[in-house]
Amino acid sequence: MTDRVLVVIPAYNEALNIERVVGEVIENYPMYDYVIINDGSTDNTAKICRKHGWKIIDLPMNLGLAGAFQTGLKYAHRKGYGYAIQFDGDGQHRPEFILPMKEKMDQGYDIVIGSRFVTEKKPRSLRMLGSRMLSGAIWFTTGVKVNDPTSGMRMFSRKMIKEFADGLNYGPEPDTISYLIRHGARVAEIPVIMDERILGESYLNPLNAAKYMGKMLFSILLVQSFRIRDRR
Amino acid sequence: MTFLLRCVLICVSLVLTVYVLGRIRHSKMRIEDSIFWVMFSMLLVVFSIFPKVADFISSLVGTYSTANFIFTLMIFILLTKVFFQSIKISQLERRVTELIQMLALDKEEAIEKEEHKL
Repeated sequence: MTDRVLVVIPAYNEALNIERVVGEVIENYPMYDYVIINDGSTDNTAKICRKHGWKIIDLPMNLGLAGAFQTGLKYAHRKGYGYAIQFDGDGQHRPEFILPMKEKMDQGYDIVIGSRFVTEKKPRSLRMLGSRMLSGAIWFTTGVKVNDPTSGMRMFSRKMIKEFADGLNYGPEPDTISYLIRHGARVAEIPVIMDERILGESYLNPLNAAKYMGKMLFSILLVQSFRIRDRR
Repeated sequence: MTFLLRCVLICVSLVLTVYVLGRIRHSKMRIEDSIFWVMFSMLLVVFSIFPKVADFISSLVGTYSTANFIFTLMIFILLTKVFFQSIKISQLERRVTELIQMLALDKEEAIEKEEHKL
């Protein structure tokens, strides 16, 4: 198990996308294990997965992305996986980049981020201004340049899996990345291409985005600096 | 302070105390949690029946007036209470999350074992 990759697919009301997304991973990439975390969906996401006989963990209530992803890592920890990757259920992430991420990780990194902007330049939009600010905040507090901190496609090593599985305040967000870098985790980025989400609505409207930015900046710049790392 | 105001204050604080004690008697609350409210309502009763106590402490602390002292004291007590409740809620949320996750994972494991048997 130690060299197996677990693809963690958190899904909340993704009935429109889940078939295509998971189907592609299962059919074309049988060398990876996967687990779908159904985060208390109110549509028939779970039903579709059951129909196909896919591996699914059913959360009885909605926990949000952080709680759902943590469930996936707890599963990975229980089973002793060596790598776990966060993979969105809405079709933005492409499975062909999992292998290069794993290869990068084998060079001795703890976290590998699938980044949209390693080689490409960031377009000048409002959303990218937010991304720049987060990059800046992480660079300011850790001295490490992370080009795409908001990328949801991240691979974690065995050590990180354990930490995420047990910890409080380990959401799959930029502030956790900054916190981990500060405590000695090595982070690498590799260039990936992401698609627009296929169907359904994103929750990222301007107000939510602004709230998210505020929370993340505040967390990275202030709160994370007086957090004590509990080693359990 | 007018006579009427004093009467109102005494009545309100007494009613509150009786109500709090009644609720606790009917065990709607854990004793640990009720201590705070018993003490709080008793403090109100003491201040309304013996305003001299508040006057005395106020002059001791050096606040401009007794009213200022009482406001400051109450705000401080309530802020502390809110802060500790916030911590408590955080802990509770975490426990609920852990329970939900464990439930889901254990269920999955049970299904897996079942499949192995077949």
